[in-house]
Amino acid sequence: MEPFFLILRRLRRPLLALIGTAIISVLGLANIPGVDANGNPAILGYFHAFYVMTFTATTVGFGEEPYAFSEAQRLWVIFSICISVTSWAYTLAVIFHMTRDPTFRAAILRSHFSTRVRRQTEPFILVIGYGQSGTVLAQMLDRIGYKSVIVELQADRVARIETQEYLRAPLFVAADGRWPETLVDAGVTHPQCQAMVVLAGDDDTTQAVAIGGSTLNPNLRIIARARSEMAVANLESFQRIEIVNPYETFAFNLGQDFSSPEKLRVREWLTGLPGAKRPTVLKLPIGHWVICGFGRFGHYVAKALTRADASWTAIDNNPELAAEPSLLQKTYSQETLSEAGIERAVGIVACTDRDAINLAAIRRARVLNRDLFVVVRQMHASNASLVEATNADLRFIQADVTSHEVRQLITSPLLSRFLQALRADTGDLAQRTSAQLEATVEDRVPFLWVFRCMEAFPGLREAFAYNPEAPLKIGDLLVYPYDPSRNLQAMALMLVRSNEEVLLPEAHTILQTGDHILFAGTKDVDVLQKLHYLSPSPLPLIRTGVEPPRSWVFRKLAAWRTAAR
Amino acid sequence: MNLEKVIFGFFVILACTLNTGFFIGEIDVIYQHNATELFLALGISVVVMVLKLGDRTQIGALQLATSLAVVLQLILSCFVWVWQTQVSGQPMDAETMSTIVSLSGGALLANVISVILLIGETLRQTR
Repeated sequence: MEPFFLILRRLRRPLLALIGTAIISVLGLANIPGVDANGNPAILGYFHAFYVMTFTATTVGFGEEPYAFSEAQRLWVIFSICISVTSWAYTLAVIFHMTRDPTFRAAILRSHFSTRVRRQTEPFILVIGYGQSGTVLAQMLDRIGYKSVIVELQADRVARIETQEYLRAPLFVAADGRWPETLVDAGVTHPQCQAMVVLAGDDDTTQAVAIGGSTLNPNLRIIARARSEMAVANLESFQRIEIVNPYETFAFNLGQDFSSPEKLRVREWLTGLPGAKRPTVLKLPIGHWVICGFGRFGHYVAKALTRADASWTAIDNNPELAAEPSLLQKTYSQETLSEAGIERAVGIVACTDRDAINLAAIRRARVLNRDLFVVVRQMHASNASLVEATNADLRFIQADVTSHEVRQLITSPLLSRFLQALRADTGDLAQRTSAQLEATVEDRVPFLWVFRCMEAFPGLREAFAYNPEAPLKIGDLLVYPYDPSRNLQAMALMLVRSNEEVLLPEAHTILQTGDHILFAGTKDVDVLQKLHYLSPSPLPLIRTGVEPPRSWVFRKLAAWRTAAR
Repeated sequence: MNLEKVIFGFFVILACTLNTGFFIGEIDVIYQHNATELFLALGISVVVMVLKLGDRTQIGALQLATSLAVVLQLILSCFVWVWQTQVSGQPMDAETMSTIVSLSGGALLANVISVILLIGETLRQTR
């Protein structure tokens, strides 16, 4: 309703002018004397006057109705046309001006957006900020089956959404997420809103949006990307806000690559963009490292190197940095690189906040030492091809790291539990997982889903109640339900029963009601698996290879035919 | 192709078509409603009901319920016919025929529901 009133308010003067001219011209024409078809004096009257004015004022012009006008009437009609056409032209001018006015258009778009969000019936995820990370994340959400609602301040970024490929077209608006009304319009209080992911450009905005969202809807799950320690500390005091820190994650990954590369590989494999190529193993060399750029990201990397017992020397030309024994506050010249020990170093991390400086530093360092392991930070997506041309062994792209983290949190709490177990594992869980993944999805990133053994599903009730001698097993869920000779391309990652976790459960594991199983597999396998939820259950077909007769007569018939054979 | 599905589908649809065949025509015009057709509709409906016995799925239970309704309605309609012509010994009149046909109309509705369930289940399986 709001834009309707806005239009009325803008059109107040032209509408008044239209009404005014209509009144004047009808009043005059109704009372000016004329003659009828028989030559008797007559006036038009209000009905006929109004009828004539409706087509005269709009310049349709049917002629002189109901009979020819007198000269006085014609004079009045001339006057009426002059004033009414002028007021029509004025009205049209105001309408055209209004529709070209950016604030008016924004208001219309905004109201359109909030109506569409309000009518949303499927679950969606609210994404605040559509920069590089937001773009990667929205595409990831689309792949794993969520619709996204996007709020972004910059109009050109929002305009990009329409040209990108999505299965479920996102709803979007160009607005400031710090305003509570924006968040409400975008559905922060909507019952179908599953989570809000805040990926604003700077930490201050992120804080404001996350805290605003948490205040508006205290039960909403909020995932915020924060990089500075202060922002992290502020947000941690809110229970429903989860923090993703891409710098820390990347440094953690580096550290894990030194200690247990296979674990890192499995983790990246499970959290990547489903259907994309799986990540490769890095095998970072341990030894002396040179870090170019000692900002927040550099600090995290340095910490990870220290933890892995690698030595490092940092270079940064920012004079404001606090002095540190292994920090050279100089330019990134060849002399400085030599001084940092580039000749004896095993690797270089180029992580200043300028792509050009990173590229130059890598080039200079390679002149001095050809066998360096190169880690480079990519700042802008537009420089991707340049950064790729360096042939760096590892690229840090904040958007990718962030989206991996968010996928972990959003897919299912079961995935987080699996990854935690993987982190804590001291055996060969990582190797076994990666071997099974290899056999299931080959070199692709799997889709993940959860199978719930709830008795409320009629198919499962049948499976649990009617087959006590042959209970439902995990292996049954891995068979193609229409043809038991084929297997589904899926594997069970974890079985959760009350609070007990079974990692990589075997196919012969017997299921109970209340079990949750995390599966990994190719696209749409979960749809086939969910046939087990429906009645009649595909279980007998899987077991025997033939569809069992369902009613008493057909059972007798089948028994008779078997006996005859 | 599954033989059970063919037989089952055949009888369910046949019951519905016979029922429809008896039902159509002016409700009180005696020669437009055939006694044999009503008899066959009742017979096939009983067969369908027996075929549905013993199916423990949810949709099977609903299928059986529709058949029970069909059989009940058709038995009542046959009973009215027999009462009029045999027990009372009167010739068939328009009033009695209206009762018979309207009872078979109720059975037709239940038969249609049964066919809808059959189609629904088939569509769901091929999703």
